[in-house]
Amino acid sequence: MASTTSGDRPQNRFVQWVDYRLPVFTFLNHELRDYPTPRNLSYLWNFGSLAGIVLVMMIASGIFLAMNYTPNDTLAFESVERIMRDVNYGWLIRYVHMNGASMFFIVVYIHIFRGLYYGSYKAPREILWMLGVVILLLMMATAFMGYVLPWGQMSFWGATVITNLFSALPIIGPKIVTWLWGGFSVGNPTLNRFFSLHYLLPFVIVGVVVLHLVALHQHGSNNPLGIDKKGKQDSIPFHPYYTIKDSFGLAVFLLPYAFLVFFYPNFFGEPDNYIPANPLATPAEIVPEWYFLPFYAILRSTPDLLFIPSKLAGVLLMFGSIAVLFVLPWLDTSPVRSGRFRPVFKWFYVSLIIDAFLLGYVGKHKPDATLFGIALPTIGWLGTLWYFGYFLVILPLLGFFEKPLKLPTSISEAVLKKGAGVASGAA
Amino acid sequence: MIRRFVLCAALLFAAPVLVPPAFAQEAEETKLLDAHFSFDSLFGTIDIKSAQRGLQIYKEVCSACHGLYELSYRNLEQLGYTEDQVKAFAADYTVPDIKDDGSAGERPAKGSDKFVRPFPNEKAARAANNGGYPPDLALIVKARKGGANYVYSIMQGYQDPPPDVKISSTAYYNIYFPGHQIAMPPPLQDGSVTFADGTKNDLAQEAHDVATFLEWASNPELAERKQMGINVLIFLVILSGVLYVAKRRIWKDVH
Amino acid sequence: MADIANVHGGNPHSDGGTRRDFLVLAGTALGAVAAATAVWPLISSMNPAADTLAAGGPVDVDVSKLAPGQQIVVMWRGAPIFVVNRTPEALALLQKPDLVDKLRDPDSQVHQQPTYADNWHRSADPQFAVLVGICTHLGCVPNFLPKPNPTSPSADWPGGYFCPCHGSKYDLAGRVYKGVPAPYNLPVPPYNFTSKTTLRIGENPTGVAFELSSVQQM
Repeated sequence: MASTTSGDRPQNRFVQWVDYRLPVFTFLNHELRDYPTPRNLSYLWNFGSLAGIVLVMMIASGIFLAMNYTPNDTLAFESVERIMRDVNYGWLIRYVHMNGASMFFIVVYIHIFRGLYYGSYKAPREILWMLGVVILLLMMATAFMGYVLPWGQMSFWGATVITNLFSALPIIGPKIVTWLWGGFSVGNPTLNRFFSLHYLLPFVIVGVVVLHLVALHQHGSNNPLGIDKKGKQDSIPFHPYYTIKDSFGLAVFLLPYAFLVFFYPNFFGEPDNYIPANPLATPAEIVPEWYFLPFYAILRSTPDLLFIPSKLAGVLLMFGSIAVLFVLPWLDTSPVRSGRFRPVFKWFYVSLIIDAFLLGYVGKHKPDATLFGIALPTIGWLGTLWYFGYFLVILPLLGFFEKPLKLPTSISEAVLKKGAGVASGAA
Repeated sequence: MIRRFVLCAALLFAAPVLVPPAFAQEAEETKLLDAHFSFDSLFGTIDIKSAQRGLQIYKEVCSACHGLYELSYRNLEQLGYTEDQVKAFAADYTVPDIKDDGSAGERPAKGSDKFVRPFPNEKAARAANNGGYPPDLALIVKARKGGANYVYSIMQGYQDPPPDVKISSTAYYNIYFPGHQIAMPPPLQDGSVTFADGTKNDLAQEAHDVATFLEWASNPELAERKQMGINVLIFLVILSGVLYVAKRRIWKDVH
Repeated sequence: MADIANVHGGNPHSDGGTRRDFLVLAGTALGAVAAATAVWPLISSMNPAADTLAAGGPVDVDVSKLAPGQQIVVMWRGAPIFVVNRTPEALALLQKPDLVDKLRDPDSQVHQQPTYADNWHRSADPQFAVLVGICTHLGCVPNFLPKPNPTSPSADWPGGYFCPCHGSKYDLAGRVYKGVPAPYNLPVPPYNFTSKTTLRIGENPTGVAFELSSVQQM
């Protein structure tokens, strides 16, 4: 494949001239136009491209916000209010960025849960999956630091509580916290460096996303049946099929996003963050943003574990909940990829989703509250055990004991069967 | 396939809906009053006349203790006042200035100045208010759960405490305030303010107007934002429709 | 992506082909509109914000405090504005043919001033000069040298401005000399006298519309 693109399309001189020197057009053609993609991808496969688009939107809105934001503890809050009131369309850019963070996590969580159901983390996509976990971690760090920047009550106290966690590490803990703070408590040095890092990390994310896409294109996308492509008839070119489908998905995605931005811009927010930070007054409830709630629940619900005090145990399990995702490809022993053909796995998967929402509920409310008469920390601890149990106990065992359903022989066979009106493996 | 698409769409739309149970109010809080503000509905905007009356209430009652710092006097032009009216309003207040001989002095406030605060700093505010700090009102509607309804309710929530409840001597009992003990004495009663346009000045009306004004103070972009929102949503619905039909057409030969 | 051409490995149905083209074209066009609408607020946000515009409002100067021959410098929209109380002798010197011969644009033909300053003294009231104190060469602030001097900074210096950066010279009406790097006269900002002693910089007299941004070059 020299400098021409697919078959019968005439290449104009300009394209040929550039492509001979830097094969941009050949590259784009190979990766985005002719690229063979499974023909049976569902709408759950839209969320990867959606995540990429939201990343671009966050970077664009963030750069323009940064033109007017001042990362200084006496000026930050006011600079945000200036953006909201005086900068042309400042309120729009700010609300897009603020709600974009929430939409980013919704999209990425759905993307991850898609992967968990269809076995997208299994060979040969282990590194693709692990790169994804790295992206998730970077997103969480970026979001955490971004929330501190407006310097409201939640910004300040959330930063205080989370940075204080590191003091739980034995011996080096307190030194690390002082190093993170740049002082004796969360203050101006902390704010300034969080701004610098918050600006930097999204570009690191872009780099990891590029690696993520390279890894993806090595073996192509997984598909709802979880079986590999057998031949040309199993795939269709990315353009126009998936370009149009992704465009449609984007338009639909923008609907709830726009609804939030224009009509309920503070739906996901905490009212307390519209109060300037006050180191002398702790808010009644310190609550992180909703996308951190399940992890917050794990942190708070963990009791003393053997010789490990609960504070340190909570920190370890909180980070452990992400760490366990890294090794997932080796924990799931089933030879079958897609949950569609794993009748027992399906129910455990559903329980994981319920567990995630339950942990979120626990993270949101006060530790002394109850649900159906049970204390929230107890529910939280049980939920934590269930989460780790799913990955460390159930998935390894299921591979041996579960009897999977019969897999179709090929993708096109399954698609043709469906087209003829015969019900194939139902979701 | 339609099933799965509906599931995905439902997930996207459900996130804002499934979540409210997690945000359910704690049992001990009293449900706030509902003022049925003009800006509550999807297309509703701020009632300018009501906001103007609210400004009057702020100036005559609230500004004694509460600042409105994030606002500048020139913002009042959004409430239907002319540039000259704004100049006159601002000129009633003075801001610090440096005299020609270099010593500290004052000058009348201009449109470009921020609203003058009643106290020079937090310590002075606390000293004058039994240690309590009257919060700045520019963002109060966004800084409290319940928003404008919270303000509307607090204004009318003062009552005698129930017989079994003891309150501090410097506090007042308010059924809508979390914890029920509020440091602010009841700021408004029937007839606290006389409206220039002759509107009935009972407590409910005053509370309604000052809450409307404060909603504007917190969300001055509300009208523009909602209008833009309607246009964007309509456009996105059309765009989604066109792209959906295009997608079905393109995929016809695959299915 | 508007050209869909042939689908790899498939045959476009001839009846649906053009309908499909139209839909994709429509979708792409709408998408382009959406993209433009999304980009516009970002670009607009870089224009001066409301508080910047408000801070750029007019500045009042009390000229009764200004002694004859004296200059004060007032900041307006980030630029230094020279206000000079010109003596009758200085005004007389401005009209001498020796000086006029040395000037590049003595009649202010290039648009560097509002209509009410389109005269030999380049001001509304001959007594007071109001000039933007930014050299039209490369933007330095010229020095005020009002006293006549036989040799310095040039022969028969009648009083005026000398720019320390590259030696440009202007007279007390801001008119630029020939043979210096600066190409144009010093601009005159919008201003008017709101009372006998109050000069308001940044506001035109009623009925005149003049924007400083309309001058040939700052």
